[in-house]
Amino acid sequence: MPDNASAQQPGQPAQGPNEHYHQPLNQPRALRIGVAGPVGTGKSSILATLCRELAGELSMAVVTNDIYTDEDARFLRSAGVLPTERIRAVETGACPHTAIRDDVSANLDAVEDLEEAYGPLDLVLIESGGDNLTATFSPALADAQLFSIDVAGGGDVARKGGPGITGADLLVINKTDLAPHVEVDVTAMVADAERARDGLPVLALSKHDPESIARLADWVRAVLVRHRSGTHVPTDPGPMAPHSHSHDGS
Amino acid sequence: MALLAPYLLADGRLPVGAHTYSAGLEPAVAAGLTRAQIPALLRARLHTTVVTEAAATALALRAALRAPVDFAPVQEALAARTPTAPLREASAALGRGVHRLARRLDPDHPAVTALARIRPRPLRPVTLGALGAVLGVGEEELVHGVVYDELQTIASAALKLLPGDPLDSVAWIVAAEADAARTVTEALAVRTPAELPARTPPLTEQWALEHDRRERRLFLA
Repeated sequence: MPDNASAQQPGQPAQGPNEHYHQPLNQPRALRIGVAGPVGTGKSSILATLCRELAGELSMAVVTNDIYTDEDARFLRSAGVLPTERIRAVETGACPHTAIRDDVSANLDAVEDLEEAYGPLDLVLIESGGDNLTATFSPALADAQLFSIDVAGGGDVARKGGPGITGADLLVINKTDLAPHVEVDVTAMVADAERARDGLPVLALSKHDPESIARLADWVRAVLVRHRSGTHVPTDPGPMAPHSHSHDGS
Repeated sequence: MALLAPYLLADGRLPVGAHTYSAGLEPAVAAGLTRAQIPALLRARLHTTVVTEAAATALALRAALRAPVDFAPVQEALAARTPTAPLREASAALGRGVHRLARRLDPDHPAVTALARIRPRPLRPVTLGALGAVLGVGEEELVHGVVYDELQTIASAALKLLPGDPLDSVAWIVAAEADAARTVTEALAVRTPAELPARTPPLTEQWALEHDRRERRLFLA
């Protein structure tokens, strides 16, 4: 069974013999991308956008975490961007933060069930429950993660930092179309974020800007290529990491 | 005897998915249970479902220590005494987390490989028996862990569902000591799967069925 496959994949928990798990040996399991960020910054909307952009070329599934179990799942099902049975919600015991970091059992179960039912899958998107700036995914669950903040949250959010902002594989600054209404300078906000992230990518996104959506989808495609070639190594932004720089060796 | 293992098993921070479970509290609250009734709920569960779960766990540990390991009799006896499908599914979901941990700690242990052969998925007491064998925990300690975990699960879930002073939760658990001791004695006295008591309170079953159909919920069961 997939013992040797999992041994080649950093961040994947040990998979012992498990006849429920039919992952072909010669094929890496689906790429798991986590989508985190504070409440109301557009996580569900980003998931819907990615499904709309990529479901035609990739076999996809979605797992949602929420305070009340299935609010986000219902939103996504009603968006009609993916067959409803490929969207699963997990109970988090009112601890959506725990469910993506300290104890990822329920999420791993959901991902494994989706792979078993619809596999082989290319991509599983996992949405965090709306939480605060410190909620990031454990590498035991997500291979890569994007963190969403938005211009309406204020132009200085990026400067304040936090593990998701500084360490996520991609930082999305969402709802840039609202910037004029909330008096935020998007260019300055992106520059702040780039300084905080020390070279990691920042994407200014608006659902009304097709070019930004294309760049979001391209980022996912690029991670998938690295995942499949075995060169992608999941990194942990940390739960409460102080502002840090990769060249410090931290 | 293992020094740390009993504490690991009793620790709510053990990453096996238990934080998604309220041990029947959320369904009970939805049916009208009040904060003042929580101590009564703890006692009621100690004399009903917990006896069955704890006894099944002890039986599973004994099965895990025999060669060849055969969990089928205890798994089947327990499933037969858990008539409500959502409760069997919740037990299997929680068992999956325990199974994953046991696999991580000792994938080749005969009790762990035996778990993988059980269809449908092993229920939580069966997986706890296997994990107990992996960790070298005695059956009395393991049963203590099951009983304590039930109390702590409800007390902790109460902080989300019927919020109040967290220190009250500790006092409820301490006050349940005598009932918990009776549960342990009863559970350890069960010697064979056929003797496993069927303590399934009708309201618990009814509430679990109602919970399964509810959309806005916090906990698995």
